Amino acid sequence: MSTMPSALTSQDPKYLTNNAIRRKRLSSWFYGLCVAIAFVSVLILVVLLAAIWAQGQSRLTVDLLTRAHSELEIERSGMWPSIIGSLIVCFVCAMAALPLGIATAVFLEEFKPTSKPLRLIHGFIQLNIANLAGVPSIVYGLLGLTVFVYMFNVFGQIKVNESPGLEIMGADHYYQVMTLQPGHVVFVPQEDASVREIEITEPIEAVDNSGNRFELAVWKPGTPRPKDEATKRQTIEEGAIGGTITRRSWYYFRLPLDKSFLSGGFTLALVILPIIIIASQESLRAVSPSLREASMGIGATTWQTVRHVCLPAAIPGIMTGSILAMGRAIGEAAPILVVLGATVMKGGGPEHLMDNAITMPVLIFNWAGRQQNEFQELAAAAIIVLLVVLLILNSTAIIIRQKVQKAHN
Amino acid sequence: MSTAQTANTTDAQTDPPADQTLLRIKNFCSWYGDYQALHDLTLDIPRRQVTAFIGPSGCGKSTLLKWINRMNDIVPGARAKGHLSLISDSDNASKKELDILDQSVDVVALRRQIGIVFQKPNPFPKSIYDNVAFGPRLHMRTTKAELDELVEWSLQKAAVWDEVKDRLHGPALGLSGGQQQRLCIARAIAVGPEVLLMDEPCSALDPASTLAIEDLIFELRSQYTIVIVTHNMQQASRCSDRTAFFFEGRLVEAGDTTQVFTKPEKKQTDDYVRGKFG
Repeated sequence: MSTMPSALTSQDPKYLTNNAIRRKRLSSWFYGLCVAIAFVSVLILVVLLAAIWAQGQSRLTVDLLTRAHSELEIERSGMWPSIIGSLIVCFVCAMAALPLGIATAVFLEEFKPTSKPLRLIHGFIQLNIANLAGVPSIVYGLLGLTVFVYMFNVFGQIKVNESPGLEIMGADHYYQVMTLQPGHVVFVPQEDASVREIEITEPIEAVDNSGNRFELAVWKPGTPRPKDEATKRQTIEEGAIGGTITRRSWYYFRLPLDKSFLSGGFTLALVILPIIIIASQESLRAVSPSLREASMGIGATTWQTVRHVCLPAAIPGIMTGSILAMGRAIGEAAPILVVLGATVMKGGGPEHLMDNAITMPVLIFNWAGRQQNEFQELAAAAIIVLLVVLLILNSTAIIIRQKVQKAHN
Repeated sequence: MSTAQTANTTDAQTDPPADQTLLRIKNFCSWYGDYQALHDLTLDIPRRQVTAFIGPSGCGKSTLLKWINRMNDIVPGARAKGHLSLISDSDNASKKELDILDQSVDVVALRRQIGIVFQKPNPFPKSIYDNVAFGPRLHMRTTKAELDELVEWSLQKAAVWDEVKDRLHGPALGLSGGQQQRLCIARAIAVGPEVLLMDEPCSALDPASTLAIEDLIFELRSQYTIVIVTHNMQQASRCSDRTAFFFEGRLVEAGDTTQVFTKPEKKQTDDYVRGKFG
């Protein structure tokens, strides 16, 4: 038998530090320090919220939620268009980012290629996604400006009263002409979009405001002028000039996307895509390999394994990541400022797919930069509303996630 | 065909009759990256018998098992050389020999023929019913009634029906370890395999559950060819007809279980089965 080390057997007091009390005290100090630091960060948040509440609570009125920004009645300015705008932009963002992000994560985690060139591509994509997560959002704004707003100008430039780009659907072009009834206009369908103006000398097919088609009569000066109102509403003076007007349905769509809420949503999707991909990868990686083996072992294909085993098990994690990402998207101001501009003059939500939108962070940015005290208070009140909207969205998502989790187990 | 010979009644017979061979392994080598896990194996696995692979950890027995239904495909860097084939329909005059290692083999169909049960019970986090129905739903289109029947049949075959019949739609993860493992066996046989591969199916279970699984293996071999990898030599001697002893990636000895355990030809085998090492 070998002898025991002297440190264990010796009674020499030099080995006995007996520092148990000191070690325990140090441990409790460290515990206190951690609690204190945690409280400091919570305290900062509380102070911030309290300051905003003190400044903004007097402006938390129904007007704030139902009215639009107004330069004339500052105290009655509201943020309704920006709430709608933010929700719609976020919806577009989620619809674009979630499928792309989850599909990319599934490719990176579940379809690991075996051939050398594909493995290189795989590694390259993986490396890039990790890097993209750290790119400042304003850079994505500039990317969105080039890719979505202008689309490299391949579909032509959009110019006011000149070129609408490449219109795909939902736009009807008319010439607008004045009738003999003062203040009443009718519309003549346009056949050639490049002709910006027409002079009407012959009777021609026309539409009135409510969409009824009729034959537009022409009155030659010198002949008796029609007397009754109904006829006057369907008659124009010979040589009347019609200028172009466009009626857009809600599904109006053209390329490039210009400063539309679609551009804004897609740009935000770029911002949060890396976050969603990384979160989805993490949760797919957390799915036990034994479940994959079990599924493959019964003869499931890789896709069947992903669809029936991996994704259901990973969905709670993927949803958590996506909720965090959406929270970031709804609060982003910089890329929206670049893509949609800093405009806040809008009476409501977007009216068609190519319509502009304003979002809450942009409105807050605008209001907070104003001189007037009212706008400062409004900005604080808008921040409270933004936080509440975020809270509602997040808690809804968490409730859905828990439902999904429960249904799965 | 009466191939259900028990380990205690067979004579010392080293090779099964050729027409009973189901899996033929010849000059088989396998690598993980640069590491050679298996060296030049030659072994025939007979139809409707239990074959046990024994040997110390890292001897390559699990590797061979996972090649039989190509589970090693999903292991990066795994490759194999040699001959590994499945001979179906030995009763038929026209025997079909399927080269398992061929790249053109449909692994989905292969794994349906050759099911596998893993070391740790790995039921899906779904209901008991959905676990068993998982395979059938992948491979066939059945009516609800047919699926119900198939699920019940599989659970009965796996000797777990009586314990779960009242909670078929309860979570599979709520079962005990032994019940979970039998559920996994039910899940494997629900797609109608010919061969069941079992990779140390009892190593994570308590003695009572182990006994239940061993009884089950004994029952199942009248219909299935079973290959079981085990560390437990009593288990190999209790429930297998034939035993193959592996050491450091080589097949040392294969033969009738009684013979391997009582009159081994090689000294290494003798030392191992007597518990001198491993």
